[in-house]
Amino acid sequence: MGKELLFAVFRNKIPERTPWVPFAGVHAGKLKGYLTQEILTDGDKLLESLLEVNRVYSPDGQPVMFDLQLEAEILGCDLIWDKKAPPSVVSHPLAKTRNIELSIPGPDDGRLPIILDVMRNLKERVGNTTALFGLICGPLTLASHLRGTEFFLDLMKDQSFVANLVEFCREVNKNIATYYIEAGMDVIAVVDPVVSLISPKHFEQFLSEAYTEIFAHIRKTDRFSSFFVCGDATKNIELMCRTKPDSIFVDENIDMVQAKMITDAYQITIGGNLPLTTVMLLGTQMDNMKSAVDLMDKMGRQRYVLAPGCDMPYDVPEENVIGIIQAVRDFEHTKAMLQNYTRENFDIPVDLPDYGNLFRPLVEIFTLDSATCPACGYMKKAVDEAQEHFGKKIDTVEYKLTLPENIARAKKMNIQHVPVILINGDIKYSSYLPSRNDLFKEIEGHI
Amino acid sequence: MEHFEQLAASIEKGDSANTKALVKHAIGENIPAQDILNNALIVGMNRIGIKFRNNEVFIPEVLVAARAMKAGLELLRPLLGEGSIDMKGKVAIGTVKGDLHDIGKNIVGVMLEGAGYEVVDLGTDVSKEAFLEAAQNTKAKIIGLSALLTTTMPYMNEIIDTLKEADLRDKIKVIIGGAPVTQTFADEIGADGYAPDAASAVDLVESLA
Repeated sequence: MGKELLFAVFRNKIPERTPWVPFAGVHAGKLKGYLTQEILTDGDKLLESLLEVNRVYSPDGQPVMFDLQLEAEILGCDLIWDKKAPPSVVSHPLAKTRNIELSIPGPDDGRLPIILDVMRNLKERVGNTTALFGLICGPLTLASHLRGTEFFLDLMKDQSFVANLVEFCREVNKNIATYYIEAGMDVIAVVDPVVSLISPKHFEQFLSEAYTEIFAHIRKTDRFSSFFVCGDATKNIELMCRTKPDSIFVDENIDMVQAKMITDAYQITIGGNLPLTTVMLLGTQMDNMKSAVDLMDKMGRQRYVLAPGCDMPYDVPEENVIGIIQAVRDFEHTKAMLQNYTRENFDIPVDLPDYGNLFRPLVEIFTLDSATCPACGYMKKAVDEAQEHFGKKIDTVEYKLTLPENIARAKKMNIQHVPVILINGDIKYSSYLPSRNDLFKEIEGHI
Repeated sequence: MEHFEQLAASIEKGDSANTKALVKHAIGENIPAQDILNNALIVGMNRIGIKFRNNEVFIPEVLVAARAMKAGLELLRPLLGEGSIDMKGKVAIGTVKGDLHDIGKNIVGVMLEGAGYEVVDLGTDVSKEAFLEAAQNTKAKIIGLSALLTTTMPYMNEIIDTLKEADLRDKIKVIIGGAPVTQTFADEIGADGYAPDAASAVDLVESLA
C-alpha cells in the first residue's frame, strides 16, 4: 500500500520504491474544472477534486488543503482571492498594535469545519491506501501574516513582542494540529516559507523551541510530522533538523545532495525539490520524467520522498504529472526509455498506417505503460471496452513507450504527451479520460 | 573620515536614532550633504548588500539598515535641494497586476536606493498602463517587474508588449524577478535581465545603467 511505503521511509526503512507525494493544492481544482476559491471554500468541490487527484495521480500521500492563509483569515486577516492561485493576505490585525488580544481558533471557526469534514470523508474513502497530510501555517509565516512586513523589523527591534507572537502562533499550530489529527490526518506538515528569509541566529532565538514543542506534540499522538520550507533555506536546515520533525520538504532552490547529508545525519527524511515552474508547469512530459528519474537516482531510496517543491501551480499539465508517476512506478524502464528518447540519430524505420484508406476505424492508444501507469491504465481500459463493444467493427492497438520503436512512432506522428487516444490518426483524447458514451459516440461517427 | 565610518557602521547596524544624531552632527560640522550621502550612507548600505549576498545577513537586517538610511536621508534632503540629489539614475519598480506580494520588490527598492539609485515604487497589482506611464513620465531608464505567483508571471510579457507598442522598448530596460521567475523565462519574454535576489538585482542594474 502506498502509505506504508511513505511510513517505511519515515521509519528509516528502505522501501521497495520511492514514495511519491504530489502537492496538488490549487491544482486539484483544475482536474475537476474548479477555480481556487471554489475548492478552498466548498467542501463538496474540494472532496471531489481530491478524490480525482487520488484516482489520477495515485499518490502515496496527498495534502488535503494547501492554504497558508486559513488560520490568518480566522484571526482577522482580510484575503483577496485569485482564480488560480491561493488567496493573499491584504490586511494585518496587528499592523498597528502590539497587543496580541487574539483567541486560539476553535474547530468551528472560519473554514475549519469545511476542511475537517473533507478530511474525515477523504480518510474514509482513500485513507486505507493513501497517507493524508494536514497542512498548517507555521509560526513565522503566521506571525508575519498577523503583523505584516513590520514583523521583520520587530525581529531586530522588539524581540519580546516577537517572542510573544511566536508563542501565540505556536499554540495556534498545536491546536490546529490536534483538530487535524482527530479528523484522521496521518502526517501534520507545518509549512513555513518565511523561514528562508531569516538568519540561523533568529531561527535559534525565536523558532527552535516553538518547533521542537510542535513536533513533540504531534509525536505524542503517534502521527508523523513534516517541516515544509520554500526558498533557499540551506543555512537553516540543520537547525530545522534539531527540532526533530520526521521529515523536511524543500523546494528547487536547495542543493538536495548537500541537504540530504545534513538530514541523514539526523536520520530525518527529506523530500520535494521537483522544480515547479521550469519543469512541472512549463516543461514537457519527458522533462518531468527526467527530472524525477534524476532526483531518485541521486537521492536513493532511503529517507527520500519524491514531491514537488511546493504547492503545484494550478495549470501544471496533467500529462507532466503522469510522466512523473511513471518514473516512480517503473524507475528502471523509465530511465532506459529516457535514454532511448534522447539518443542521437534515433532512427528506427516505422510504417504508419494509410489512415485515409482503412477498412474500419483504427483506435490507437499511446501509453507510457498501461500496466504500471495508472492514468494510462484507465485510458487503455476505455479502449478495451470499446473493442469489446464494437467487436470486429473496429481495430485497436496500444503502443507502449517502453519500446524504442514505439517512441520512434510517437515522434513520427508528432505526439508530445501520453496517454493519448487517436482515431484514424487524429488525436482525440490527450491525457483526458473520455466517458464511455463520448468515446463510443466518437467511434460510431467513424464507422 | 571618522564621521563617515561611524555613520556607515550605524547604517549597517540599523540604528536609526544614532544615524540621525550622526548626520545632524556632520551637518553641524559643515560637511557637504552630498559627501555625507556618498561617503557614509551609501557605503553603509553597500556593505549590507554585500553581506546579504554572502548570506551573512538576512531580510530583517537589510530592512532595519534601510530604515536607518532613510532616516539619515530625510535630514539631508532639504540641504541637497529637491530633485538635485546626484543619484546614479532612476529605476521604476512594481509587483505586476494580480499580485500583491511585495516583500521581495521592497527589498530590491531598498537595495537600489542604498546603491545610489532613485527608485519610483509603483506598488503592487500594477497594470501595464501604469508601467507604461512610468516609462513615459518618470524618466526611469530601467523598469523592474516582480511576481510571486506563477499565475501573474505571464503578465510580465504583456508589459513588455505594451512598451513595444508604444515604441519605448528600445529606450527602456526591463528587468524581472520573483520566486517562480527564471533566466529562461526572462529570455523567453525578451526581458533585458533577471536577478535571483535583491543583491544581484543591484548588480544587474549597475550593468545595464
